[in-house]
Amino acid sequence: MSFQRPHTTQPSPHAPQNQSQSQPFHPQHPQAQPFPGHPQQPNPQGIPHQGTVLTGRGLVKYYGDVVGLAGVDVTVQAGEALAVMGPSGNGKTTLLHVLAGILTPDQGEVWLGGERVDQLGDAARTVLRRRRLGFVFQDNQLLAELPADENVALPLMVDGVSRREAIGRARNMLAQVGLSAEVSRRPGELSGGQAQRVAIARALVGEPQAVFADEPTGALDAATGAQVIDLLVGAATHRGAAVVVVTHDDAVAARCHRVVRIVDGRVSER
Amino acid sequence: MNPMTDLGLRFVRRPGPGGRAANLAALGATAIVALLVSFLIAGSLGLTHRSDRIGWRNTDDGEPKTAVGAVNEVHDMVAGEPVNRVDLAINNPKRDGELPPPPGLSHAPKPGEVFVSPELAKRWSEDLRTRYKLEQPTGIISDAGLSSPDELIVIRGVAKDSPGVAQSDHPRYLDTWRGNAMDSRMAMLLALVAFGIALVLFPLLSLVGQAAGVAAKRREHRLAALRLAGATRRQVLWLSAVEQAVLGFLGAIAGLIGYVVLSPLIARIPLGGGRWYLHDLTPSWWVTLIVLVAVPVLSVISALIGLGRVSITPLGVVRGQTRKSTSALRLVLLVIGPIMLAVLGTGGAVLPLVIGIGIAALAVRVVGPWAVQVIGKFLARTAKGPVVLLAGRRLADDPKGAFRPVAALVLSGFVTGFLALFMPYGLTQDGKDVSFQLYTNQGQTAVVAEDARKRLSEAGFKGEVTTGDQSVSISVSTTERERLRTVLYDVVPSQVPLTDAERDKQDAGVFMDMRLGVALLLGLVFVTGAASTAAGAVGTALDQAAPAKALRRSGVPLQVIERSARLAAVVPVVAVGLPVVGFGALCGLALSGGQVVTRGSSGVILLLGQVVVGVVLVAVAGAAGAPVLRKASAG
Repeated sequence: MSFQRPHTTQPSPHAPQNQSQSQPFHPQHPQAQPFPGHPQQPNPQGIPHQGTVLTGRGLVKYYGDVVGLAGVDVTVQAGEALAVMGPSGNGKTTLLHVLAGILTPDQGEVWLGGERVDQLGDAARTVLRRRRLGFVFQDNQLLAELPADENVALPLMVDGVSRREAIGRARNMLAQVGLSAEVSRRPGELSGGQAQRVAIARALVGEPQAVFADEPTGALDAATGAQVIDLLVGAATHRGAAVVVVTHDDAVAARCHRVVRIVDGRVSER
Repeated sequence: MNPMTDLGLRFVRRPGPGGRAANLAALGATAIVALLVSFLIAGSLGLTHRSDRIGWRNTDDGEPKTAVGAVNEVHDMVAGEPVNRVDLAINNPKRDGELPPPPGLSHAPKPGEVFVSPELAKRWSEDLRTRYKLEQPTGIISDAGLSSPDELIVIRGVAKDSPGVAQSDHPRYLDTWRGNAMDSRMAMLLALVAFGIALVLFPLLSLVGQAAGVAAKRREHRLAALRLAGATRRQVLWLSAVEQAVLGFLGAIAGLIGYVVLSPLIARIPLGGGRWYLHDLTPSWWVTLIVLVAVPVLSVISALIGLGRVSITPLGVVRGQTRKSTSALRLVLLVIGPIMLAVLGTGGAVLPLVIGIGIAALAVRVVGPWAVQVIGKFLARTAKGPVVLLAGRRLADDPKGAFRPVAALVLSGFVTGFLALFMPYGLTQDGKDVSFQLYTNQGQTAVVAEDARKRLSEAGFKGEVTTGDQSVSISVSTTERERLRTVLYDVVPSQVPLTDAERDKQDAGVFMDMRLGVALLLGLVFVTGAASTAAGAVGTALDQAAPAKALRRSGVPLQVIERSARLAAVVPVVAVGLPVVGFGALCGLALSGGQVVTRGSSGVILLLGQVVVGVVLVAVAGAAGAPVLRKASAG
């Protein structure tokens, strides 16, 4: 079974959370109306709303004298896909890295669920990224030596899941992204779109709360890119995960629920 | 200038991010190759230079009537040190004036004249005055007639009918002082060098390949960008060749400088009877030229072969995704070397033996990747955790790439295994040091014994003189060993009184050479192995940088990646290296006809040393790759 591209004619309710991965998925198009019910501010206790998976508040990041982020506020809801756009070198990838706990902000806060990420140490952030986040990169960054199923199973095995179970879950996930026939193929034997599907399966196999994608369709043609982004957004939001996609491509952004533009390290448009 | 040449030179000057580390690693590895090649060539030539100066001493190519001299070598001792005494009877067959002197001597020695080396002149003592009946030596032998500045040698002029050089005693006759005959000890060492070259050739070539490969890895993306900009494949290969040639040339210069700087230390190695004259080891202009040309050319060829394995397209460098599996047919090579050695045996000529050992070493090099692939598949199939899985898949996916960095180290296992069972003995000396033994004709023993008793009595020594079948044994309890020897000097003409232990010591020089030669050989292989393994680790780290970066961002701890890289480096060394030790031992046994030639614990010490050094080298290699991987995968 494979996921379908989100429909454009349906309203956009919250995608259901914590669905079983084997349940069928019917994604809805997110663009038709604003994403309902997501608070732009934390609740009075300062802790993000339960529906809010990811929150960045007042994020500032410097690279020496260069300003990467100049005070960014952003929230992403469970089941919501957020596209981050903007000119090159204006802070898109920096924002993604800060939200994902890869970089620590010089000022501001990052919350994942009820946990403040920016104050965690490097080791704790590493564990958090492994267990609660998923990543998709432009060039898929799969390990060339491993077949598809082992590439997907690797994060689970690193986390202590037995090989048998990890491979089983990986194959199940690969089946859901339409690659049940390619489980034993290596990245070099897959097309660009197939390899990116494997990368999506790897990002989702650990049931993450949020998925970060940096130009996930940058190396693909338009048609394949559309399929891949639909799959990513559909599969992740179907599970109630928040998705943050950095992209230059309007077509990709159009397939997300919401778009923010970053210019000179600030959110210029929502 | 060709624009690609210009661009290549510019890339060497500005290698770009990460390129400097890769270029330095490549340059360092190339420098080590150049240093070792210089050492091997200059060392071999040094041996021939030595032999040219002293070869006449044991030449036997003349006829009694036409020879310029008759030579008899006698072992002597001074202050507990072995001394070589050359009794030389000059024969001037043409009688056309003054005969040219032997090398290093001011004139051809007349009977009773004694020339000594500078070291022996320093030790000229009362005993030597008495033995040679001279207050001072007639002359000092110059460097032109010595093997080593440490050499202890006496060249004594004797009459043609003296014992030892008389025709009835079958001395050596020589037609010229500068013949083609090699000194036997130097010839043995040269044979050892030939074996050494056969054993280190493949590790050295591996190291050249590693050096070229490390620099090439950083180059690949740039090459793809150039293809995108319209450069043809031929042009980007030319650019690579220019870059590698410059790096190879710089590495060769660094290696030569390193060799020249180290040569005073190398000259202190007491191989072949003592330290070396520095000029024996100084590379000539043509050796320098060979190194400066050969090393860059080999580097360029290696780099081009490496790039030939990948397809440089405008969209990037694409490796063959389904690498050709290595065939078990390679195992056939394993039997050729041992069979050849068994057929030739220890009586075989040096060249076929060298070829036999070379084929056996080549077999290890060829079979290694196959073994790595088998082990990798097994690990990947049985892995329970990510570290073993990653390491196993890496080994199975690119066994040649995995084996290349450790090939030198694994080959050192072959050398060790070979020598552990086939190191010519003589290292353990069991001769007794209690009595002088003199050997004479059956009818002479009583006369010699009587003369010895008389001399002992006159000199005030009390001792026991017994006669055997053809020997006389003189046992005296004294602390004045050298005076006693002087008293008994020439009791048997042309024979110096020595104990069995002292005779062992005379012979020990050759075995000491072998032991040192083996140590040097292993040192060479280990240095090559260390450099190759370290360069390989850097190359692997650069290869894995992009996926390692992605894995780290995804929350996979760096330790998992590092541990799998370390495991992938250790497994070929241990899992292939240990059987290779056994294979080396098998070759040693094949050559010796099933005999364990090595005596005592030398073999065990060698094996233990090999294991320790191997483990240390793998640790060093891991240390070389880790910071590169950490840096390259950060962010």
